[in-house]
Amino acid sequence: MSTPSCAPEATLLAYWLGELDERAESALEEHLFGCARCSARLQSLVQLKTAIRRAFLSGDVSSVLTEKLIERVQEAGLRVREYRMGPGGSVQCTVAPDDDLVVAHLRAPLTDVARLDVIFEDLPAGTRHRTEDVAFDPATGQVTLLPNVTQLRKLRFATQRVELVAVEGASERVIADYTFNHSPYDSVRP
Amino acid sequence: MNAPLPVEPRKSYSPRVCPPISPEEEDAALARRIVGCAPERDVAAEAELCRRFASRIRLFALKRLRSDAAAADLAQDVLMLTLQKLRSGEVREPERIGAFVLGIARQTMIDSSRNSARRERLLETFPADLSPVEDEPREILDTDRLHHCMQALVERERAVLLMTFYDDRSAEAVGAELGISAANVRVIRHRGIRHLRDCMNLAEVAS
Repeated sequence: MSTPSCAPEATLLAYWLGELDERAESALEEHLFGCARCSARLQSLVQLKTAIRRAFLSGDVSSVLTEKLIERVQEAGLRVREYRMGPGGSVQCTVAPDDDLVVAHLRAPLTDVARLDVIFEDLPAGTRHRTEDVAFDPATGQVTLLPNVTQLRKLRFATQRVELVAVEGASERVIADYTFNHSPYDSVRP
Repeated sequence: MNAPLPVEPRKSYSPRVCPPISPEEEDAALARRIVGCAPERDVAAEAELCRRFASRIRLFALKRLRSDAAAADLAQDVLMLTLQKLRSGEVREPERIGAFVLGIARQTMIDSSRNSARRERLLETFPADLSPVEDEPREILDTDRLHHCMQALVERERAVLLMTFYDDRSAEAVGAELGISAANVRVIRHRGIRHLRDCMNLAEVAS
């Protein structure tokens, strides 16, 4: 049986990601083979998702992700420079020419934290940038920052302070802070 | 002296002249033309049918194989088989050509996992059908604009899109990693794609 009408984009995406049950998938597939327009819509979606994946792998996008994703990236053969820190920690960091990605794993007391914001402060200028409601899994007790590698490569010597802020309604509290002392690779390589 | 042998007139190959194809012509009409033209070949109708179905088969295969090269190979195999069946009159319902091609695609997927030598045989038997198939035109995405728009998303949307599309993970899997529900992931995912399209001035192909 073929689906009589065109499916919404959310259904096309669910199909692509294997979220439909067997019957729904089969019916949508029949529709896709008979409908040039829906096939073009799926094609457009797949192109967009491919471009997003490439943007991630090129290191041109910064985000806050999970350690599990970074592990999968490493298993796929990408070179990831990692820094691990506890609350109050400080690290000398850089990016090598052959690094694909750089990540910082920040341990923090995340139990009972519903919403977490991250404040980045460039020192000594004091310029602050806040990223609200970052993705994290409270059970891991860890936040994984993925900076933009292209921008990191352009940096010379720089210091950045990072604060994790737990937000509860109108109130908030800093639960941990970390300091990154960046140096260009040509100044730190052995 | 022997009388000269009668000379038979040379048989010349003259392809049937078929009417030009209009863009509105339905898939079924193309299939009927190919069937009606057999044993001659309606080259224009065959090329147009291949162009239309190439991307549909490729997407079907890409979803399962996650490899552009493997999907392109499978698409070519399916198109070759489809043309063979149309030319030999084995397609009983040309008006259901979409379902017919899907059936071949499903069977080829099963066969290809069983027997990789089959493709080699097809390649040897039907080399003339192996010219690259011209696919449907694709959008050209502005990479710089995409990076800018990704960065302009709210953080949770960006994270969910990256976690979803790095290795095509379902809402259940992404939700499990983030400690949120699959339904929540779907909402964030949908919003993220919509914001990204708005930022890139990419209209969704109208449904």
